[in-house]
Amino acid sequence: MLTELLQGSDAGGFIIIRDSASCSGRHLLKSFINAALNREEDVHVLGFEVSEEELKGSPVQRLHFHNAYSDPLGWTDKPTFTVHQFCMEELARLLKQTSHPKPATLVIDSLSWILRHVSPPAVCATLHQLRKGGAVRAIVALLHGDMHQRGTVGSVCHLASSVITVAPGMKGGDAVAKITKRSKSGKVVQDEDIFTINNDLTVVIQSKHSQVGHKQADPEEQEMDPTAHLTFNLRLSNKEREAKEKLALPFVFSKEKKTALLHSSPGSGRILYEPDANDDYDQEDPDDDLDV
Amino acid sequence: MAAPVSTVGKPSAERLPLNTTSFQKKTRTKLISIPGTRPSVQNGQLLVSTGVTSLDYLLGGGLAVGTVLLVEEDRYDSYSRMILKYFLAEGVVCRHELFVASAQDNPDDILQELPAPILDDVAIHKPVEQPRLSCEPQDSLDAMKIAWRYQNLPKVQSALASSSRFGHYYDVSKTMEPEIRQAAKCHRFYLTEHPTQSPPTHSTMLESYSALLKSLQEVINSEGFDVAAPMSKSRNILRIGLPSLGSALWGDDLSCHDNPRNGHALATFFYGLRAMLRSSLAVAVVTVPSHLIQDRALMGNITRLCDNAIALESFKGSERETNPLYKDYHGLLHVRQVPHLNCLASKLPDHKDLAFKLKRKQFTIERLHLPPDLSETVSRVSRGELAGAAAVASACGSGGSGNKHLDF
Repeated sequence: MLTELLQGSDAGGFIIIRDSASCSGRHLLKSFINAALNREEDVHVLGFEVSEEELKGSPVQRLHFHNAYSDPLGWTDKPTFTVHQFCMEELARLLKQTSHPKPATLVIDSLSWILRHVSPPAVCATLHQLRKGGAVRAIVALLHGDMHQRGTVGSVCHLASSVITVAPGMKGGDAVAKITKRSKSGKVVQDEDIFTINNDLTVVIQSKHSQVGHKQADPEEQEMDPTAHLTFNLRLSNKEREAKEKLALPFVFSKEKKTALLHSSPGSGRILYEPDANDDYDQEDPDDDLDV
Repeated sequence: MAAPVSTVGKPSAERLPLNTTSFQKKTRTKLISIPGTRPSVQNGQLLVSTGVTSLDYLLGGGLAVGTVLLVEEDRYDSYSRMILKYFLAEGVVCRHELFVASAQDNPDDILQELPAPILDDVAIHKPVEQPRLSCEPQDSLDAMKIAWRYQNLPKVQSALASSSRFGHYYDVSKTMEPEIRQAAKCHRFYLTEHPTQSPPTHSTMLESYSALLKSLQEVINSEGFDVAAPMSKSRNILRIGLPSLGSALWGDDLSCHDNPRNGHALATFFYGLRAMLRSSLAVAVVTVPSHLIQDRALMGNITRLCDNAIALESFKGSERETNPLYKDYHGLLHVRQVPHLNCLASKLPDHKDLAFKLKRKQFTIERLHLPPDLSETVSRVSRGELAGAAAVASACGSGGSGNKHLDF
């Protein structure tokens, strides 16, 4: 599923790459940027954590890097992009600067930086507005899962359409990506891929399934069909089936009797009874001799 | 010694007709008869169906009018959203009015995804068909071989508009047709369309919640759901659906921080909501992402402030997915609270281990039990793996769990 996400087939998606101290997700983020550039899309990068030269070597035309690395909190007089500019109006203005007809892809490196300085409900509201507004085609964000409280990480990941959690793999260069994708209809698909990233930022998937030892119980192998090797015949031929259906079972009524019972005519048999003195039986006074 | 007692009268020679009983409950006509509701058999409260018949059974027959049902969401909010959709679809079928308030999805989108009802007696536009009478004996006799005495009984309960059935079934794979949906009146509240103003006074409630409560109050007063309103026109029930209340999009940091700044905003909202509902003919189903709320004391507070509370735990993504015990089900359901309305004690469900399964035509909630272990060589699931809900001591399963099978 990692390749499908990289191809970016569905618009309006919000992908979160969740990494930790043991395995960095920045290489995967660079692969996403590369894939978007290869698709001839405009990419806007909000870079808080690494500088422009480190993120990509040579300048590329369709990649717009907004430098929030040098002065994110606005301590100097002329900051390029501060953390407090992460709101809908400023971002819309930023994205309108390029005159490309197609909506762009927004890459945020990293969301953790923003979450440290802006309250999570405001960040969630901005992300929600970005998705709904249609100003961007897709959002890819890097989130350091171990930097925040569980509730914060959970709330932000709840908004995402796909969450990729990277963890170190068994071998040296490998990493394991656990992907959870939520579609619009509410269906949740989970997958796990082992991948490596080459020098030219292409992703190579090693294998599909994880090799951690889940004992796969195979009950199908142990069950055999019990009717396979028998010395007597359990099947019916056509003639035998017809004969079986013709057989009159003992307690099944014939058709005439059934209709007679179902449509009982009104005057078939009525019991007329007038209760007489003997019916007036009192349990507590069986001989009827008490003078009450 | 026989005490003086009046003689037992003559046995009444009454012949009861086949379908109905002559027993009529003597009630004062103070009980308002509204389509889609019925009085509870336990305490006489007016009940409304949630749309899921097994959930109705768990809650003691249905949701009482004027109460709140809290659904704690599962991890990906799939099944709690399904329950909300069932609730709203039931409102459309029973011709109640709806109120949907959401911060994330547009309420119109939620209303377009309601499941389609299955029955033929949900006749909004088509005329009601009479049940098939037994005028053709030849055809009907071949229909049933064994239960032929029941052939002439009507197949479909003829449901007319005033006394519709309580609890319907829905087909999840189809969405409700627009004609049926538009027949019901819906009120919407979408948070992004309401600009948030800063509150002039320091209040314990967030402005998003106050705006929602104000909007609800307006709808209740203007449309006549208030119990105190004059009884001139016919009454109806208002069904309120609030998905994902308490999430970060409502401006609440309850689900983000371990020590939220205004931790009691949501609790205050529920207090106000319940007070408003008690004096009106409305029912509310609220889903809260409780898996994100870290402060369990606050979650307990919120649970106490609602009347009914259930929690859903889906197996998707957890290690329980591969447990063979749970392979038939989609998740576990925990009943956190059952209300006691106008009485001292409430009727708790008998079984605490419940599991749910969403099939195409039904959302079933069943008791989770250990299946009988019939095979000789399969290894028994150890007790440690069943930590959680299924620690039910079944009669045959737990007897000799440590020993080998004894052959007799």
